[in-house]
Amino acid sequence: MKFSNIAKFFLLVWMLGVIWAAFYYVQPAEGFIGQSSRIVFFHVPTAWVSVLAFLVSCVSSIQYLRTRDPEHDIRAAVASRLGLLFAVLATVTGAIFARIMWNAYWNWDPRQTSIAILLLIYAAYFALRSAVPDPERRAALAAVYAILAFVTVPFLVFVVPRIYWSLHPDTIINVRGANDFDSRYTQVLLASLAGFTGLFVWINSIDCRLDKIRRRRQEEVL
Amino acid sequence: MGDGIRIEFSEVGKRYDERVIFRGISGTVKPGSILVLTGPNGSGKSTLVSILCGLLRPTRGTVKYLVGDDEVERWEWRFHLGIVAPAMALYEELTAHENLRFFARVRDLKMDDDDLNQILETVGLDPRRTTPVVGFSTGMQQRLKIAQAMLHEPEVLFLDEPGANLDPGGQDWFEGWVAAYAAAGGTVVLATNDRREMQWGMNRVELAG
Amino acid sequence: MSSLLAEALAVAAKDLRTEFRTRVALNALGLFALTTLAAVSYTIGPYRIAEADRPYLLSALLWVVILFASLAGLDRTFVKEEESHTAPLLRLSAGPHAVWLGKLLFNLGLLAALMVILVPLFIVLMGLPLVLHFGWLVAVLAAGGFALAVITTIVAAIIARAMTRGALFAVLSLPLLLPLVIFAIQGTAGVASGEIEIVHQSLRAMISFGGIMVVVSAALFPVIWGE
Repeated sequence: MKFSNIAKFFLLVWMLGVIWAAFYYVQPAEGFIGQSSRIVFFHVPTAWVSVLAFLVSCVSSIQYLRTRDPEHDIRAAVASRLGLLFAVLATVTGAIFARIMWNAYWNWDPRQTSIAILLLIYAAYFALRSAVPDPERRAALAAVYAILAFVTVPFLVFVVPRIYWSLHPDTIINVRGANDFDSRYTQVLLASLAGFTGLFVWINSIDCRLDKIRRRRQEEVL
Repeated sequence: MGDGIRIEFSEVGKRYDERVIFRGISGTVKPGSILVLTGPNGSGKSTLVSILCGLLRPTRGTVKYLVGDDEVERWEWRFHLGIVAPAMALYEELTAHENLRFFARVRDLKMDDDDLNQILETVGLDPRRTTPVVGFSTGMQQRLKIAQAMLHEPEVLFLDEPGANLDPGGQDWFEGWVAAYAAAGGTVVLATNDRREMQWGMNRVELAG
Repeated sequence: MSSLLAEALAVAAKDLRTEFRTRVALNALGLFALTTLAAVSYTIGPYRIAEADRPYLLSALLWVVILFASLAGLDRTFVKEEESHTAPLLRLSAGPHAVWLGKLLFNLGLLAALMVILVPLFIVLMGLPLVLHFGWLVAVLAAGGFALAVITTIVAAIIARAMTRGALFAVLSLPLLLPLVIFAIQGTAGVASGEIEIVHQSLRAMISFGGIMVVVSAALFPVIWGE
């Protein structure tokens, strides 16, 4: 068996383990209504992947502008596409959790605002891409926009919330640390983060290969 | 005019998504010569001109500006070229004089009003005219575009259907002017389907439809 | 450096001259702002909002008007070059940094003109107590307006090179402008309520955001313009 096949099989077992652990291995956390705390194992990793994808997209954009190699443009576009998907997942899981905890799907908590802006940025990125027919120009303009967005996001995530008060439990969890949250919680969350990261890397590489084939077929015409 | 610039392009191709404009176009233009680009409407003559003057990147292939064996960097091309093309307009709200003064200022040329008036007279425009370009006939606009292209005395001249809107007298004058420009060591790329203009140059690149 | 400035001024002067002859951007900006202001002042007026809420709500309204007026007009300077097919010759004649700086200066001028007319009217019509700390008000408006012009200028340069420009300008600008608008509203509310500490905070945030955007724009503009 090839290494990549072993890795895929391992990822499957790992994710199954994470799902099992999320429901049977840990107890519902105190201070959370009902079983709602379990969603953290899926919500936090999807949010993390959407940010990771954003980072990958920005780094690829900078590399594209440096080298003008279309492959970096493919990477940036693919990572953004996945980022958009995971940002939607994070928003939906977050909204479900918010509904249970605070009785409202949406309340403009700074972190909700951040993910909403991330969604807007991804949407704008693809709106821009679809509005430029020339592939060289599209790649360059999209890369520039990704970098501009990359500069903006820290202000949204770090500076804006300093002025506003946050409802979000993550900060509370961080403050209370491992005392209230048993260590099993941390284990499963970390395992889930690792699993989702692996999932992202895998889907990302498939998507990149697909896009490369698509582009090669276009170039065969040329 | 310096040493003159040689343009070499090889295997140039351009594609917009699924649509291929052209592919595998190669050629060389030496100082003192005129390269004629021909091809039916929609064959990509103007696109190729845009690629050769650095306004557009080719999907495939390379374009080089060479002085002897030294390559001129892409961002410096604009200092060495002038262009007259139907798709490139001047500022309609400004007068002929204001247009030229603007282009002289952004090119950092030390030219006073007399110099500009001189150029306007050379191309056959009245320098005292103070109406905005929007009121010009297409032939007068063409003359002003020619004035704009020769303003900074470039080594390379791109002409896209230059005689299209000129009267017979203007065409004769311009043909003579381009011949003199090439004879003085200028490099000329001429995109045209006009039978008379096609005779200006020896080298030819034909684009298929 | 001095030739860069001279060339940039030539670009800005050219834009001002054509703008005074056509007034497209001025009309878009001014009419949008005045119409919105009239609607807001007619429906809300100075006394519909409780005294305690006034600083925040009215500051938010002021910046919403400024934001949307900007989105209505600040893309003209680049879009017009593409629509009237003057961009190619400008691209081949002027250096990219001179173009960027010239267009930025032009947009700064437009925005300053808008604010000079809009803000006093807004203060009078809406009864926003901003005049007590006039210096701080000018500082907040200047810092916010500067960052606003920087961001809209670079986004205008991007969308001018794409199709469906009108819709794209707002779509691409809003995510980038959101933190700025939040800071600006904070700062203006701080001025209105006399909480100078908040004004300091928001000024710091706006100046650093605007400063970073200037550096990034200057670095990236040649890529957009040359493509």
